[in-house]
Amino acid sequence: MNRRSLLIALVASLIFVSSAALAQTPKRGGTLRVSYGTEIAHLDFHTAPGYEMMWVAMNVGCGLVNITPDGKFVGDAAESWQSAPDGLSYTFKLRKNVLFHDGTAVDAAAVKFNIERVMDPATKSGMRPFYEPVHSIEVLDPQTVQIRLKQPYVFFLHMLAAYRTGLVLLSPASIQKFGVDDRKQGKPGAIIGCGPFKFVEWVKGSHLLMERFDKYFEPGLPYLDKVMIRVIKDPVTEMAAFKAGEIDFIASFSPDHVDTMRAQVPRAQILSGKETTPMLAAMKVTVPKDGKPMSPDRAPHPIFGDLRVRKAIGCYGIDRQEVVKIAFKGQATPWVGMAPPGTLESVNVNHLCPYDQAKARALLAEAGYGPSKPLTLELMTNTEKSVFNVIATVLKEQFARIGVTANIRLVDKVSWMNTTLGDGPWDMYVEDLLSLLTIDSNGYLSSAYVSTKSSAWSHPRHTDTKVDDYYARYARELDAAKRRALAKEFLEYMAENMYWNTISGSPFYMVAQPWMKGYTYNAEFEVHYDRVWLDR
Amino acid sequence: MRTYILKRLVQIVPTVLMITFVVFVMMRSVPGDPVVSVLGDAYTEEDAIKAREAYGLDKPIVVQYFIWLGKLVQGDWGASILTGRPVLQDVMIRLPVTLELIVLSMFVALVIAVPAAIIGALRQNTWADYTATTAAMIGVSIPEFFIGVLLLLAFSIGLGGLLPSSGWVYLPGTCPSIVCSASLWGNTMHVLMPAFALGVGRAAILTRLLRASMLEVIRTEYVTTARAKGLGERPVVFKHALKNALIPTVTVMGLQVGFLIGGAIVVETLFAMPGLGTFGIDAIVARDYQQVQGFALITALAFVVINLLVDLTYTFLDPRIRYA
Repeated sequence: MNRRSLLIALVASLIFVSSAALAQTPKRGGTLRVSYGTEIAHLDFHTAPGYEMMWVAMNVGCGLVNITPDGKFVGDAAESWQSAPDGLSYTFKLRKNVLFHDGTAVDAAAVKFNIERVMDPATKSGMRPFYEPVHSIEVLDPQTVQIRLKQPYVFFLHMLAAYRTGLVLLSPASIQKFGVDDRKQGKPGAIIGCGPFKFVEWVKGSHLLMERFDKYFEPGLPYLDKVMIRVIKDPVTEMAAFKAGEIDFIASFSPDHVDTMRAQVPRAQILSGKETTPMLAAMKVTVPKDGKPMSPDRAPHPIFGDLRVRKAIGCYGIDRQEVVKIAFKGQATPWVGMAPPGTLESVNVNHLCPYDQAKARALLAEAGYGPSKPLTLELMTNTEKSVFNVIATVLKEQFARIGVTANIRLVDKVSWMNTTLGDGPWDMYVEDLLSLLTIDSNGYLSSAYVSTKSSAWSHPRHTDTKVDDYYARYARELDAAKRRALAKEFLEYMAENMYWNTISGSPFYMVAQPWMKGYTYNAEFEVHYDRVWLDR
Repeated sequence: MRTYILKRLVQIVPTVLMITFVVFVMMRSVPGDPVVSVLGDAYTEEDAIKAREAYGLDKPIVVQYFIWLGKLVQGDWGASILTGRPVLQDVMIRLPVTLELIVLSMFVALVIAVPAAIIGALRQNTWADYTATTAAMIGVSIPEFFIGVLLLLAFSIGLGGLLPSSGWVYLPGTCPSIVCSASLWGNTMHVLMPAFALGVGRAAILTRLLRASMLEVIRTEYVTTARAKGLGERPVVFKHALKNALIPTVTVMGLQVGFLIGGAIVVETLFAMPGLGTFGIDAIVARDYQQVQGFALITALAFVVINLLVDLTYTFLDPRIRYA
């Protein structure tokens, strides 16, 4: 190669590299059009249920820390933090330039105000149980806040970052000025966060609009001018809107339609990751002895109060491979453990529950069931997702193979919630519950909540205090190796006792247009639009 | 006439009251408690009891109904249990969307039904008649959601996004929020597929009915007389036959409003329209009693008022009809 050719090659490479770099330089402006399949319940971020609200809260509000997909913590309003060697306190140093959307400063007093609001029983926040270890919050100086704990809580940062919304900081001034109903309705001025986007308006049934906060503490961010969220409940319509380019991002896409989407829109970015949501066939372990729902006085459930029956049906009687093959076209992981494969420190305990019809029949016979005394149970499922009904049908068939009759009861979501949260009559149900970042985030299973008559999510309502002990020891163990060993022991214990009967992971999908750039997939835990830009 | 209208307006009151009472009792008899949704995972029995007291749900159903009614006569439609939003405000935001959908779908139905029925009746037992009656049979048999999906596949996906698949653009001057699109063209593009999906089924029913009615009328003596007088076919058909044949059709059109409201629930959900149908279904699913009452009240009012208007059009169609 002569000198001239070399020069031409060099110039050409330079042009290629710089144009490639230019193509990857984020462009400012534009409106990201997002589709939700479910309506937002309401907008009081500290109390509202549902991922749809959380994904708004994460963009309107800021927190102290966030978590990356590989489990690293990054500062949000906090620029640094330190935990005491004994794990009994966390000190957060706040950035100086963080403002709420009303212009007031995000300072230590605001952090204290917000945490105390979540901890206040009157707020009725579902996150309150996770703040139980908090002893006090001290304002050391305007930029420094120290949270003191009663006992070590290893997952404190995980909880602040991504249990549900994580900690969402709202302007104390706006909280004091407006009532809960104003926030729920999304009244102008009532929802003042410190995130990259300001809340503009929510017209229920139509749209929710956020726009760029120009004084966001990250220089140059966010790139987008606006984020417009629309609710499209029908997946076929959602797909048609996506294909026609009417929406840029589907925040939660039905697994049933992923293959169709791939075929219809080959350039679509289909985002997914390790499964963190468990698909359950939950069994009720106890019932109120006095017949009063939520009574702490418990008696064994007539069917599943017997561990042998729980193991026969939930453990050996379920062919998890077959369920996954039929219900998820093989796109999920058969799983027995309480924490799905994508959950931090999860352990595979599938070996404890191999599909074994003979063993199931033997255990049922031992418990007194057989041809002369056939076992009939009710299998509740709900209309929220079609996959629940498919799984219920497969289970019915599998139970028939071991001589058990399952009568499927199909109810709507609210009836399911009433029955399960309210300690109503049920035997077994199929559902996928909350996505689990850590084993600890399923702490609702503690029997402590049964004895205190709360515990909404401890549906099986077991009364085994050993589970509480496991949770406490696990969350307090500072030594990582010991904690992992404890996790394994704990998950095995839960599987052996069938307090929480997982069938498989439940896959989660998001779909983005090819021109949507800069989004980092982190399951349901972190949905941030601050670095998103549109390359159109 | 005035006395008749007044009498009918007075009759509306017990009708609407009865409907709202039945809905009130039925909703509270359905399993499910809105308090569970309100409290979510912070649910405790103690809080649930307090919340039921706060919303007056602990009182007997009849008492609850009269409390609701008492507020209603003062113009207070209540507030959503879940979001606290005033029901009347939400109903007023969504009503124009559904009204437009219903009016246009009825227009679509008439545009299809009237010519098809006339051709079918005048060319009885010919291929034109068979085509019209077969098409009507198919139209009656296909549910709205299926027609909607077919339209989506054809016009939003198949023809490269010729028509928008979902959402809504308001008519100029009707935008209910700070930010929303409003344009006549955009509105037309958005309403075409939903109106067609909802109107086709109604067109089929009206075609069958109007054809039968036309067949009866064109065989009457006054139509024969009109033809014998040397009147052209057009005035015979449109002035003498169609006008008289329309009376039973108009009655059915009024009754079809109820079906249209029901169909609007499906069509609005499919096309993600912010109308009363989606409002009603969301309210029922969430057991948001106040919103369900608002939905029942507005649909009952719409139904009875439209049927009153239908009755009044009889006097125009047949001057012999007089109300006293």
